[in-house]
Amino acid sequence: MATDRSSFDTSSRSATLRSFAQEMKAARRAGWGNPWGYAFIAPALVLYLIFNVWPIIRGFLMAFTDYRFLYPDTRWDFHGLTNFIEMFSDDNFWEALVISLRYTITVVPIALSLALVLAIFIARTNRLSGFYRWIVYLPTILPIAVTLLMFKQFYSNKFGFINVNLRDLGWARPPDWLSSVKYALTAVGIADIWRGIGFPTILFLVGIYGINSELFEAASIDGATRWQQLWKITLPMLRPTITLVLVLNSSILGATEQMMMMTNGGPQNSTLTAGLYLYRLAFQQGDLRLGYASAVSLTLGLISSLITLFWFRMLREK
Amino acid sequence: MSTARARQSSRHPSAWPRFRRWARQEALGAHFVLFFVLLIILIPLLWLIGTTFKDNIEFASNPGNVIPTRFSLVNYKYMLTAVENLPVYMKNSFFVAFGTVALQVFVCSLAGYAFARMEFRFRDVIFLSILISMFIPRSGGLMALYELMTFLKLRNNLIGLILLFGAGIPVPLFIMRQSFMAVPKEIEEAARIDGASWFRVFARIALPIASGGMIVIATMSFVSVWSDFLVTFTMIDRDSQMTISIGIQKILASSYEMALSPRFRGQFAGEAADATALLFAAIPVVTLYAVLQRWFMRGLAEGAVKF
Repeated sequence: MATDRSSFDTSSRSATLRSFAQEMKAARRAGWGNPWGYAFIAPALVLYLIFNVWPIIRGFLMAFTDYRFLYPDTRWDFHGLTNFIEMFSDDNFWEALVISLRYTITVVPIALSLALVLAIFIARTNRLSGFYRWIVYLPTILPIAVTLLMFKQFYSNKFGFINVNLRDLGWARPPDWLSSVKYALTAVGIADIWRGIGFPTILFLVGIYGINSELFEAASIDGATRWQQLWKITLPMLRPTITLVLVLNSSILGATEQMMMMTNGGPQNSTLTAGLYLYRLAFQQGDLRLGYASAVSLTLGLISSLITLFWFRMLREK
Repeated sequence: MSTARARQSSRHPSAWPRFRRWARQEALGAHFVLFFVLLIILIPLLWLIGTTFKDNIEFASNPGNVIPTRFSLVNYKYMLTAVENLPVYMKNSFFVAFGTVALQVFVCSLAGYAFARMEFRFRDVIFLSILISMFIPRSGGLMALYELMTFLKLRNNLIGLILLFGAGIPVPLFIMRQSFMAVPKEIEEAARIDGASWFRVFARIALPIASGGMIVIATMSFVSVWSDFLVTFTMIDRDSQMTISIGIQKILASSYEMALSPRFRGQFAGEAADATALLFAAIPVVTLYAVLQRWFMRGLAEGAVKF
């Protein structure tokens, strides 16, 4: 039976898929084996099948139905691609999608480059590095509701830290960040970057610590400056980590909770992201159109998969 | 310390290069940059904490100060005595978080052990399927979950939340499997030959050695469950079943009325009370994080990087 051969240290999904095919073959050849094994995995498997696998299947099917939650009979009303056709002419959806994309392609690169720079600096230090890591990861530990509501107060026009201090510094009428069409999305983005920077920083750090230190020693003996070492050793060696981090961050497209708590889509729908739009469709508006919302959601999922695929292709090792 | 050393060394002409070498070795520049970056990261939090100590007058006159000019505990007094929902929400949060941790540690260590040590058909196929399924986008999942939970009569039910969160097994399962594979095989085999049952070997020998992995998955799931917003918000709308993470908005909404009610009239500002509520909601996870930092970092490294 194939055991330790299937190593999971593979950095790409295709390698995992390849070993999956090999396992299938190996399993067909072997007998049923130790029955206790099935008993041990049963609880985990049952939970997983009910609460994870089924929703994936059902969510996919639901996208092709006109299921409205308030009308339970419509549960299995399949009507082909009607949802997707409706979506194409749904201006609200397109506007929300554009906002989401704009939000994602500004927030993610900024957060990740900041994280990379922070990780490089932290990796330089010996003393206090544990302390730095602790602080950097702290915002990620905080419950998302706490962070977002805290930033809402932080930005508040009347009593918020930013505007009170700006007024003290002499700017008589600073913008009301979260209520201005011009700044609201940026303001939420900053809060999101604050919250999201810790995880990629730690991943980058783990990556940097994993680079063989002899490489750096050899380079500095050969007279390479720190700057050269950064470009010629650290960054190329971090390629798998960078891919991983980009892949993990391609799902930000929704940005549902952020907008829900800080702006509720306003002002004038300027922060109505696709995630919030679909949440409202499914759970807050009219007949609770779970079917149509699933179609929107499936489309968003496809877009994030495309982004993921794009990053895999871009950063594939040659 | 560094400035004192610099001043001292500048008296000797030969000391400057030595200081430079020392500064380079200690990465003084990096410390300098990090100090400022981390200060910026901490400002919103410090301001939040500072605000919790401001009473009505202090908040009205110095809302933008990080450190209040005079300290008051009125917000804490209000939160602990007058907000009836706070203990309910906290209790629910602890219930769901501990319940999920218990469930997840139980099912994932059993299954992780089987995947690491036992030989049975389709073992690796099942394990890889679980891992691969992680990469399938979960979109549509929330709508389908809503239907499922309604069907199972598990909406507005804390047990339902525990089952739902407990089912998020791929990463914990992976970590447990790794921990069990690190246990020396020989000890277990010796016990098996001596006639111990599989369950006995698992519970008495493997589990204690792999307890590090259990701590890792326990901390990870505690924090993620405590912090979850979207799923909980979708599944719970009855006040008595809310966790702090979704109930906090209700507390914030009520503090303004309370600031005007007879008992606390004019003593505190709604915003400062809000800050205190937010702090309360964060304290359990931050405490856990402070105590178990080592395990968090290990969990992050193992959970994500090994793929």
